[in-house]
Amino acid sequence: MQNEIVIVGLNHRSAPIEVRESVAFENPYIRDALAQLRAYPNIHEGVILSTCNRVEVVATASDGDSAFNDIIAFLGEQKAQRHAGPLDEHIYTYRGAEAVRHLFRVAASLDSMVVGEPQILGQLKEHYDAAQQAGTVGAILHRLFHRSFSVAKRVRSETGIGSGAVSVSSVAVDLAKRIFDRFDDKTVMLIGAGKMGDLMARHLQSHGVHSVMVTNRTFEGAVALAEKIQGSPIRFDDFSRYLKMADLVIGCAAAPEMLVDAGTVERVLRERKQKAMFFIDIGDRRNFDAKINDLDNVYLYNIDDLKSVAEDNLQERSNEAAKAEAIVQEEVRSFARWLGSLEQVPTITALRQRFEEIRRGEIDKSLGAGLKDLNAEQRAALDDLTTAMINKLLHGPISQLKKNSPEDGEDPTLYISALKRLFGLEEK
Amino acid sequence: MDAILLKLTTAAYLVAAGSFFFFLFRGEPAARLPTVLLLFGFVVQTIVLTGRFFQEGFAAVAVMGDALLFNSWMMVGVYLLVQLKYRLTILGGIIAPLAFLMTFAALAVGVAVGDIPPALQTFWLPLHVTLAFLGNAVFAMAFGVSLIYLLQERHLKHKKMTALMKRFPPLESLDRLNYMLLVWGFPLMTLGILTGSLWAGIHWGHYWSWDPRQISSAIAWLFYGALLHGRITAGLRGKKAALLTMVGFCVVIGYFLWGDAIFPSRHGGRFE
Repeated sequence: MQNEIVIVGLNHRSAPIEVRESVAFENPYIRDALAQLRAYPNIHEGVILSTCNRVEVVATASDGDSAFNDIIAFLGEQKAQRHAGPLDEHIYTYRGAEAVRHLFRVAASLDSMVVGEPQILGQLKEHYDAAQQAGTVGAILHRLFHRSFSVAKRVRSETGIGSGAVSVSSVAVDLAKRIFDRFDDKTVMLIGAGKMGDLMARHLQSHGVHSVMVTNRTFEGAVALAEKIQGSPIRFDDFSRYLKMADLVIGCAAAPEMLVDAGTVERVLRERKQKAMFFIDIGDRRNFDAKINDLDNVYLYNIDDLKSVAEDNLQERSNEAAKAEAIVQEEVRSFARWLGSLEQVPTITALRQRFEEIRRGEIDKSLGAGLKDLNAEQRAALDDLTTAMINKLLHGPISQLKKNSPEDGEDPTLYISALKRLFGLEEK
Repeated sequence: MDAILLKLTTAAYLVAAGSFFFFLFRGEPAARLPTVLLLFGFVVQTIVLTGRFFQEGFAAVAVMGDALLFNSWMMVGVYLLVQLKYRLTILGGIIAPLAFLMTFAALAVGVAVGDIPPALQTFWLPLHVTLAFLGNAVFAMAFGVSLIYLLQERHLKHKKMTALMKRFPPLESLDRLNYMLLVWGFPLMTLGILTGSLWAGIHWGHYWSWDPRQISSAIAWLFYGALLHGRITAGLRGKKAALLTMVGFCVVIGYFLWGDAIFPSRHGGRFE
């Protein structure tokens, strides 16, 4: 029984969100879906991965081509419940070493929309566990998935693919961590009720900030926002008096005029004995004077600065991706070797048996007919002669199989399946 | 024997310095190997110094080569102590090259027998030398911390996030450590100067002889004193404090290395 690894899927590049949603598997139904998948006689093992950016079915099957059709039909059934229209143009298929490579790339976050984002590995593990509980994971997918987890870890530790924040608010937190060594004794002042400011303040709270002051043009607005993020509201007219208490100041007000100028900050700094301040101008309009950044012990980043750091980090990630691809390639080769070795011994045995059967059959036939007069000595010589011929004939193919170190990009299962087909080993 | 061990020390510091940078640029700033190498150099150097101590007594430090050795030994020792508490491996990237340069210079200058008159060889000698050198070692650390502070600060101001920058500690930690070192270094330096002065007073009858090193250490002392005062009372911190710390150390080290050679004095081995 041949077990080929196949993947059928669609992702953020191959399919628009409506199509992805139409085939997505809701968590509670994955178990049922897995049972349904397993019901196809050709499919032996299966794992379904379903996230907002991709839906993939990873399976092992006796026959890759019909497995593709089975899985496409399976996905189509899901889709039929909500949406009509052909899936084919949105779907990609992989088999053998290519499928292994694809899964490794997905696990290592090389195939993600934001390359290097860390969530995918957790999602992969979750869906693998679900399949294991549903009993649709066998020896091959077990090994394949565990290998993919360790490839992901290797990529993460050996390359910088996950380093560097790529969203505006995490860049700001990263920068704050370069300035301050702890956040639990720091105070944040949030000016304005913009959405980004709210997000930024929450992000800082999740990093340990306890104390948040909130101000807004209208005091009611400040109170409402303060309640939402558990801060203390401050009247807008008073905020510059409280500025000296703030270590981090987030500006996200839609005010047309500048709210804090360099002179004010200079005075505030004297009052707080030059303790460092970090101004984050995160709204659409500039709330803070650009000259603030020229003062010692004060750092000012506006939204464009943060975006440009995020872009640099993204660029850095894609540079690191090349290193990651090399690691994936290496791991695919070693996995393919393992996969090959699974079938290598049985194939060699079957091949020898097949040849031996033919030899025995032909000798018996001849000894019963034209060669029946041979004496015992001659019969032994005939036996040796034919055995030697077969050994010589088989030497090449068998040592090629045993070598088991395929050339670059070559699938080692290739020889095995070729031999099986050429000599009809499958039916045995 | 000494010469071989001394070469081994120098080599260990060089390799340690190289490995600090190697691991820093590979993105493993907390790797242990460089610190282990530095510790190895330190142990070998301790053996060298102990050997010389038994041969020469404290008189050995009176000449340049040995003074450098003793000073670098203390600096590495202080670094290893700070490392225990603060895990500032990155600082090793500055301390290890400094230690290498100092031991290498000691090798180049050669270590010779200190020519200190027996009358001067009282307990004041080890007391004065140890305190003064410990002060130097602490200020060498402060120099390193300040340098890292300025690099980090510059990156933040210019809004360039580099991978290297993430391997540096936050400004707040660096500034706090810098302050701590000043708080330790200043009393040590004060005691170093006081003991030297008392010793001179007892031996020669005058406490102050306008010896070039006395002048320079007085300048450095005033400088560091003003810095400490500024930090405590006027909120002097961050970039300015780091810059001033570095300038102060340049006064100390600059004079230590060249002053004696230009102006022969008691500190340079003339005890007329």
